Amino acid sequence: MSDTMNNAVNTPPVVSARGLTKRYGKTTAVDNIAFEIPPGRIIGLIGPNGSGKTTTLKAMLGLVPFEGEMKVLGKDPRTEREALMREVCFIADVAVLPRWLRVSEAIDFVAGVHPKFDRTKAERYIANTKLKPSMKVKEMSKGMIVQLHLALVMAIDAKLLVLDEPTLGLDILYRKQFYQNLLEDYFDEQKTIIVTTHQVEEIEHILSDLMFIRDGKITLSATMDEIGERFIEVMVAPDKVEAAKALKPIDERQVFGKSVFLFDGVPRGQVAALGETRSPGIADLFVATMKGTYA
Amino acid sequence: MNTMKWLIKREFWEHKGGFFWAPMIVGALISALIALPAFYFAAKGDDVQVRINGEIRSGGEAVKQFSQRMTPEQMTLVTDAAASSYMGFAGPLAGLLGFVLFFFCLNALFDERKDRSVLFWKSLPVSDTETVLSKVAMALAAAPLVTLACAIASALFSVLAVTLAASMVGVGSLSALLTTPALYYSPLLVAAMLPVFAVWALPAVGWLLMVGAWAKSKPFVWAVGVPVLVGGLIAWLNKMFALGWDTSWFWKNIVGRILLSIVPGSWFGLNTLDGSYQVGIRQTQVSMLLDKSWQQFVNPNIWIGAIAGCAMIYVAIRLRRWRDEG
Repeated sequence: MSDTMNNAVNTPPVVSARGLTKRYGKTTAVDNIAFEIPPGRIIGLIGPNGSGKTTTLKAMLGLVPFEGEMKVLGKDPRTEREALMREVCFIADVAVLPRWLRVSEAIDFVAGVHPKFDRTKAERYIANTKLKPSMKVKEMSKGMIVQLHLALVMAIDAKLLVLDEPTLGLDILYRKQFYQNLLEDYFDEQKTIIVTTHQVEEIEHILSDLMFIRDGKITLSATMDEIGERFIEVMVAPDKVEAAKALKPIDERQVFGKSVFLFDGVPRGQVAALGETRSPGIADLFVATMKGTYA
Repeated sequence: MNTMKWLIKREFWEHKGGFFWAPMIVGALISALIALPAFYFAAKGDDVQVRINGEIRSGGEAVKQFSQRMTPEQMTLVTDAAASSYMGFAGPLAGLLGFVLFFFCLNALFDERKDRSVLFWKSLPVSDTETVLSKVAMALAAAPLVTLACAIASALFSVLAVTLAASMVGVGSLSALLTTPALYYSPLLVAAMLPVFAVWALPAVGWLLMVGAWAKSKPFVWAVGVPVLVGGLIAWLNKMFALGWDTSWFWKNIVGRILLSIVPGSWFGLNTLDGSYQVGIRQTQVSMLLDKSWQQFVNPNIWIGAIAGCAMIYVAIRLRRWRDEG
């Protein structure tokens, strides 16, 4: 365990950004952000629609020009994209596989052009699904398309996997299966996964790090452990509400006539005196910190 | 190089219909249209009434008599013409290829953006340069080769069928045909026009790829509408202000070159060095057409067009690299 920790400290970050800015005309999609992502992590990039998360990922993947500095695996995605794509994989969206492509052709093609593709692994994964080699993408359901895409991606021994809303529009069975496969058959300490999704609760338990983004700025960046320590939710009886408010909660909501307060960085002992405490879910944190976004 | 092989294969997977089935079917249709009547005539020729110089004769006899009146030299000429009939088959197939290529080039970089599959292709370690050049290679080399193979196959089949049918009624002989050198070298002569096509079609391929990579919607309207509107505007200005411009130059050297050069053989019509350069029926000898084709290379037009084509292909590569698909 300590070896892994040391590795995480010594090895250079998978992604590092400084002064990353992206403007579309007059609107600033990403506003001068900085972050570092160490290897062996699963990072959830969470933000409301239009907050700049997809733009950040696109910049990372060399799909759009940007201002500022960014290195992905030591390479500049603007100028070294081809070399980068040997180490980086991404699923940009559901259903971006061309409709005319057959399962067998998809495997042949990726095996032909990708030096790190393990054909048997992809075939083994596909054997566990209802996909047939002669099947065309246009004959598949959305869930099957994602299964094919995931089979291709998981068979590539990449250092960084970027998933932008990979399960959008899928039913819960496919969604659960997707993350389970990812975790069991793909992820290890050498790999890093960055994932954005609106179904926050579903990935909560697999994340190691969390990054909240709002209006093009990072509003929260922490490991899940840190978040567990920093944020506490307390259900407060009416007589202690004033005392709770004195501790400057970041959010307040009503549940069954009682007030639930969310505290950031207030010592646990101090808060525990107010009532029953619990660790908030990411969804609660998200809602609390993003209040007023669409107002 | 291996990547290129797979990129070309990928194009054939996607466009099997246009690049493979269409020339196969058209070639087979032409062959059938020639072979079937020939065999029908050979079998039932005697039932057909033919009027020659006022005399009514049976068809089979008429053909026999006609062929008997021919001198050996004339007979050789006929065999020769049959043996070099490849151009006749290459003609319609070239037209078909031009049509298929026009829409292939126009949509090659547009459809992948429309259905967002470009994001899948871009997730693989294949550069935009390789991708775009694979489409150029598809249009200028791979697809014409397949069409050429279809043309040769259907020409061979038809010539053999007609000769066989003729020999059934006692006219000519299969062996005479098989010993005619033209039967073997005319496919090579047709194939030798491919390099001319590859250079000639560059401006059209470049223009169509570039418009497809750039247009947000309706690439056809942009690709055809813009040059035609500009041409119309020039003609209007010319007339309004009596500028005395030669507006046909623009149509021939700009509009024609970026739109019609995609049709193999279009150099015969578009790029005339002088008046005598028109193709006549008497000049359909394959070798003469080949001479005229290779003569294009001394014309600066083809080279200026090629340079413009390469520049537009470069722009298409840049557009594919940086176009944000939202």
